[in-house]
Amino acid sequence: MKQAVILIGTLTISLLLTACGEQSQTAVESTADYPSKPIRVIIPFGPGGLADVTLRLAGEPLGEGLGQRLVIENRPGAGGVAATTNILNSEADGYTLIVLTNGTTIAETLFDKLPYQITEDLVPVSSVTWFDLVLLVHPDAGVESLEALLAEKGNDLKIATINPGSTQNLTAELFNTRSGIDATIIPYRTTPDVLGALLRQEVDLVIDAYTALKGAIDSGQARPVAVTGESRNPAMPDVPTVTEAGIEDFVVTGWNALYAKAGTPPEILRQLNDSVARVVNTQDIQNRFRELGVEARATSAEQMQERLLDDIEKWRQVIETAGIDTL
Amino acid sequence: METLSYLAIGFEQALTPQALLFCLLGVSLGTFIGVLPGIGSLTTIALCLPLTFHLEPLPGLIMLAGIFYGAQYGSSTASILLNVPGSAPAAITCLDGYPMSQQGRAGIALFITTIASFIGGSFAILLLVFFAPILADFAISFSAADYFSIMILALTAASTLSVGSPLKGLTMVVLGLLLGLVGTDINSGQFRFTFGIPALADGINLVALAMGLFGVAEILNNLSNGNVPLASREDISLKNMLPSKQDWKAFRNACLRGSVIGSFIGMLPGTGPTIATFMAYAGEKKLSDTPEKFGKGAIEGISAPEAANNASVQAAFIPTLTLGVPGDAIMAVMLGGLLVHGITPGPQLVTTDAALFWGVVASFWIGNALLLVLNLPMIGLWVKLLSIPYRILFPSVLFLICIGVYSVNNSSVDVLLTLGFGLLGFFLNRFGYPSAPLLLGFVLGPLIEENFRRALVLSGSNLATFITRPISLVFLLMTLALLSFTFWRGSIRHLNNPSGVNP
Repeated sequence: MKQAVILIGTLTISLLLTACGEQSQTAVESTADYPSKPIRVIIPFGPGGLADVTLRLAGEPLGEGLGQRLVIENRPGAGGVAATTNILNSEADGYTLIVLTNGTTIAETLFDKLPYQITEDLVPVSSVTWFDLVLLVHPDAGVESLEALLAEKGNDLKIATINPGSTQNLTAELFNTRSGIDATIIPYRTTPDVLGALLRQEVDLVIDAYTALKGAIDSGQARPVAVTGESRNPAMPDVPTVTEAGIEDFVVTGWNALYAKAGTPPEILRQLNDSVARVVNTQDIQNRFRELGVEARATSAEQMQERLLDDIEKWRQVIETAGIDTL
Repeated sequence: METLSYLAIGFEQALTPQALLFCLLGVSLGTFIGVLPGIGSLTTIALCLPLTFHLEPLPGLIMLAGIFYGAQYGSSTASILLNVPGSAPAAITCLDGYPMSQQGRAGIALFITTIASFIGGSFAILLLVFFAPILADFAISFSAADYFSIMILALTAASTLSVGSPLKGLTMVVLGLLLGLVGTDINSGQFRFTFGIPALADGINLVALAMGLFGVAEILNNLSNGNVPLASREDISLKNMLPSKQDWKAFRNACLRGSVIGSFIGMLPGTGPTIATFMAYAGEKKLSDTPEKFGKGAIEGISAPEAANNASVQAAFIPTLTLGVPGDAIMAVMLGGLLVHGITPGPQLVTTDAALFWGVVASFWIGNALLLVLNLPMIGLWVKLLSIPYRILFPSVLFLICIGVYSVNNSSVDVLLTLGFGLLGFFLNRFGYPSAPLLLGFVLGPLIEENFRRALVLSGSNLATFITRPISLVFLLMTLALLSFTFWRGSIRHLNNPSGVNP
């Protein structure tokens, strides 16, 4: 009996503790003191990924500039639902921020029943990171260019990407639509799996973020044939953009941006936007991001929101054209 | 010889005071969190990752790697003493480790698992040092069809995991496969059996399942039994800890086979130590002349999985370091740490960052030696745990499980799931349904389905791909051999024992 009481007691305490962690109540205070305590930044991915690494890099000088530490919190999974729900359960006081990505704009269409509206419930602070995807072939495949690959394989082309619903996977769908071929898109669980598929030459083409495959490119494991950005990647000036390679109306640029909960005082948003812009423009961050193969660039809140809305529309069309079932 | 001179450079790097300090820090932290149920190396490495941003790349990586393999040393401690695994791969060690502890042989069990860990780890490090490039190329050549066939072999071997009724064991494998279906289908992106709960979209958390079925269920079981003594208290002197000649004999071959199986599974990206430990155990039981001793404190039943566990995590560094293809989430996090320093993982790592590569490899030796020195004297201390009264011990363990599970994804749904699986496990145990086959079914199910479908897509829906690929064919033949062997042995037994009573 005694044990049962203790057992229930422990359970209650553990659950209470979890609950406290979920909804830490913060007293509303004057915006002039902001920030008077550490700022939480929620990342909808696990640690070690691009969003995580870049935000941690920028987070440090950002915290120094604001006079408070930035605490990075990883809440991975479910298309960012766990992360977004978390920020929406906190106060709109600027002490909780979230990282949105181009993936967020896909989830907006892909998930039918999101418990929130990203465009209404969150407000932009600024973008932080911009990056290309890259199209890669195996060096032994004997093709030098995207045109040659398409001419050789046609509808037999096999493309490897990570899971359906990812930016990479939908970029492959967009590639199919714009190039007019009917390639087979084969989903893998992780980027390393995708790279493995290319090394085994079980697929002809791989589409993934440049950063993730930089090592493979630099070492000659994989040969880049095109980049998805608007202009060429400064790290690989010889590699054409997909548009230059002859496929019209095809640009995909990934981004990571900081957002706050709607209702956050405008002066706090402005202060945060200023701080991000200052940090992102420092030589140190510019260099370190370039080493990672990404671009550090801040935007105004308005530019960011415009970009978010544009991308939602863009991926909505891709999802509809590809005939992907929403969830 | 070239390898040896590189290794010398590596030791030069890894023996600097700073590198040694971080190696010790990593392996000590690893052992500690390994002992704690639920809190795994992924969470700990993620927490320590930002710390490494301020370090040189080498000590940072040495520390993270130390946490990773150090955790495998500790993870069997709670399995043996409390029947509560420190991590999912160590769940299998409960089967024979806990009975040993009940027989008053906890000290011996802990001694054996520490030595097995050391041998398993060292075996895989030897492979890494001398054969890494060849093995990495071999591992990466495994395609979807090959993975499918290996997993089929593993699933067939799983039929031996149950002690009692084979039908009950099979039922649990199927239940595990079904639970593995929950989440997002990798091929179509569609949700399956998520019941509108976003937290289930990525599937059921393995840690939540393992901690519930083995940890919470065991605690409930103990509570319902009243105050039976945990295990007989032992007087731990060095003499009581040392295995007998007979123990050593049973240990030797099991440990070696475990190291081989663990290294093999470990270097295949995407498999993980849980499959390695379960396969090593199943293999031992299949090969044993006395399979009836398994589940009752067989030395082989703890030696093989523990060797496999450590071999697999060390072997996972083979594709990670030589090809830049990390085998699992933990490896990916470690490589993420390198990105910050402007080092992109890839095959060039061995050549352009030779000092880093060989420094890390050398640190594995040092780390494993430190772990041995660290863990052996701790055995007496751990066994003393058993003298803590129930009313303090179990709430603490439960509390730790809750924190550990929560820390994986920062998700409170996972904590509730753990408690739910605890109840499930409690009732299953009561009715004689074993939990181990369920866990293996859960781990293998998604891999089998995913690779089966991918193999068909890659081959243009040609089923022949499973027998035309040589690797796949070999494993399918092994499966066939295993099945025939089982039937043959079964019929021999039947002849010798016509009453039909299963010995």
